[in-house]
Amino acid sequence: MDLSGDLGVYCGKLLADVGADVIKIEHPGGDAMRRTGPFVADAAPMENSLHWRHYNTNKRSITLNIETSAGTDLLGKLAATADVVLESFQPGYLSAKGLGYDHLSEANTGLVYASLTPFGQTGPYRDYKASDLVGFAMGGYMYVTGWPDTSPNKLWGLQAYQTTSNRAFIGILIALFHRLATGEGQYVDVSMQEAVATTTEHVNTTYNYTGESAIRCGFRHGGQFIATWQCKDGYVSITTNTAKAWDDLRAWMERDGMAGDLMDEQYNDRFILRGEHGAHIEELVEAWTLTHTRAEITEWGQANHHPWGPVTTADELLGMEQHWERGFYLVPPGEEELVYPGSPYKMSENGWRLNSLAPGIGQHNHQIFCEELGLSAEDLQALISDGVV
Amino acid sequence: MGSFSMAETGALALQGIRVLDFTWIHAGPSATRILSDQGAQIIKVESNQALAVVGGPSSNTARGLGQRHNWNAGKRSISLNMKTDAGKNLARRLVAVSDVVAENFSGRVMPSWGLDYEGVRKIKPDIIMLSMSGFGRSGPWKDRVSYGQTLQAWSGFTNLTGFPDTRPSGPASAYSDAVGGMTGAQAVLLALIQRANTGLGQWIDVSQMEAMSTLLGPLALELSANKSNKTGVQRTGNRLSHGGGAPHGAYRCQGNDRWIAITVFTDEEWVSFVNAIGSPAWASEDRFATVDSREEHADDLDTLVESWTLNQSAEAAMQLLQTAGVAAGVVLTGEDMANNDPQLRERGTFQQVPDAAGVPRTIERAAYKLSRTPGSVTRGAPEFGADQDFVLSGILGLSDEELAEAAIAGAFD
Repeated sequence: MDLSGDLGVYCGKLLADVGADVIKIEHPGGDAMRRTGPFVADAAPMENSLHWRHYNTNKRSITLNIETSAGTDLLGKLAATADVVLESFQPGYLSAKGLGYDHLSEANTGLVYASLTPFGQTGPYRDYKASDLVGFAMGGYMYVTGWPDTSPNKLWGLQAYQTTSNRAFIGILIALFHRLATGEGQYVDVSMQEAVATTTEHVNTTYNYTGESAIRCGFRHGGQFIATWQCKDGYVSITTNTAKAWDDLRAWMERDGMAGDLMDEQYNDRFILRGEHGAHIEELVEAWTLTHTRAEITEWGQANHHPWGPVTTADELLGMEQHWERGFYLVPPGEEELVYPGSPYKMSENGWRLNSLAPGIGQHNHQIFCEELGLSAEDLQALISDGVV
Repeated sequence: MGSFSMAETGALALQGIRVLDFTWIHAGPSATRILSDQGAQIIKVESNQALAVVGGPSSNTARGLGQRHNWNAGKRSISLNMKTDAGKNLARRLVAVSDVVAENFSGRVMPSWGLDYEGVRKIKPDIIMLSMSGFGRSGPWKDRVSYGQTLQAWSGFTNLTGFPDTRPSGPASAYSDAVGGMTGAQAVLLALIQRANTGLGQWIDVSQMEAMSTLLGPLALELSANKSNKTGVQRTGNRLSHGGGAPHGAYRCQGNDRWIAITVFTDEEWVSFVNAIGSPAWASEDRFATVDSREEHADDLDTLVESWTLNQSAEAAMQLLQTAGVAAGVVLTGEDMANNDPQLRERGTFQQVPDAAGVPRTIERAAYKLSRTPGSVTRGAPEFGADQDFVLSGILGLSDEELAEAAIAGAFD
């Protein structure tokens, strides 16, 4: 049962895409996400959101007004049949309706109940609100992203929300594995702030092991031996992760007559970009990269086993042959115009599948309320008339 | 550190699961650290012949040391020279008593040891093998090499991260490695569930590039739906490309490089925001009256909002706005997270564990709190090769004689 909003909708997709029967509970009239663009041109409002279509693949949809007592009753009945409940309401909201973990697990002891919130169920900020941007800021990732002379910056897209969902999915899978052995369910409390804070790679270790806060380094990525350079046709990422990579780069520049004084012994340290000579080296490297294309630098680097690659622009993404060759990009029947991203993992015995596209509003009301919960067609009609469904 | 102490006595969900872990740098070790926290026994196979790999190429620095501690807490380490038959033989014997083999080498390494999936399943038919790589183990790009930033660039994240009027900055750190770690752990957990149900093991081929591409969300759909969009999809700074609302950004506060993130989506939130900041005259201008008009005038609005935040401390502004029901948060620094943020402290986001010398080392804890199986980390990262006896005598049951023979044959060189 997926009762979640923006924080958890991707977690519901991760479960649905590996075969769980995920029922999305929408408010009558449709989930708020249906109003979020981008939109596809040839569909009706509320059914045209690509945002909705992406995040709700393989789910079924029912509508239910859980602000009504009939609605909470029905939700309780559904929850009695559920293996997992996924929700992202404010702490305490569902408990006040008799739909908290303590209530639902009484009869359904194997239930795994995951609550995804901005700051978790405990602590002084438990009732604080947060968007993706605020989660990214409070998780410590934003401060280090961007340029020294700009404001801190977010990553593109909804990475704080998706990281929360990714972390929650791990917690739920651990709980499901434990349930297989013991029959016991449990409560999973996931905080967006913590999810982001533990996804920052160098931010915590830098402070905890050097006493200095990591800072924004623009294109230099953590101030190390990794940078994104302007070249003839865009930008290219060059990582001199080994002494050989740095030496090869200098040698290639020298062959082009553009190494300046970089062949001097004082530049032998591949970490030198960090030091006092940084600006001088950057000037030389970029003067050189500007004389080559992304493909030239990428191919030559890769041929020498260096992790160099192009900065791909958005309009090039659908042309990536690797994604087509491996079947990562999918064009499902019935949506010939649309390209869906596929599985994050390829597993030899375990199907990630795009079985069904995102549901219409309440598309499965009759199937779930009547055929599965046993309501009569008249019961359902009455619930619809009363605004419960 | 945290007062929210993880229960040390709870059941461990992955107790009894053994992982033979050949992974290195960031993505692989962070995947197996997730399993380690839940009680899986992780045997880290290292080598004198390779780089001092565990923390990555900078593991001789303080920061690299921190990464070694953070990503390898709770694990065991042995040193095997896989260039020798004796080393490979011991590795094969370890496969036979493991549930999972994990690796993130380039594609030719495991086959050269006879330890690709076909090789390991002959030793242990229900083995689960996790192979992580930049581009996956098939397709025309399978032999390309990558670091985190390479994948961020190649997947499109770098070009889209930054401000419209600056060159792309890209993610500041190796998001793709963290993503690879989460994805790898998810796949192993799925495979363990599958094995419990069917008895079958399997091979997991994680392409970190694909894992990143999934996190572009609906972008592929958008690009395919709107092929005629000539302006294309561009960097949006701190705004959302769709459904953003305004203000939506980071604003400078009092102090040195102090910032607050503020987001206002609805009219109701706007009214709360305006009241909270003392209803300045500009806030009642017509051009800020609706969601659409605020978005249209977002640049001007940002300047005016910052004229207010500049005279506030970031912490006080957050409290004021949150009390009014507006989503706002301090742009926390590393120091803030370690020392100042009361929420992370209360939640116990960081933990200290003793290293081999008994020195307390700070590590991150899981962002999910499980009520019955919370997991437990009681040991820091192992010293290189510290668990030779524990693993070879304790687990494999090698006699002193066998150990001496293996040593003479170069297995530990």
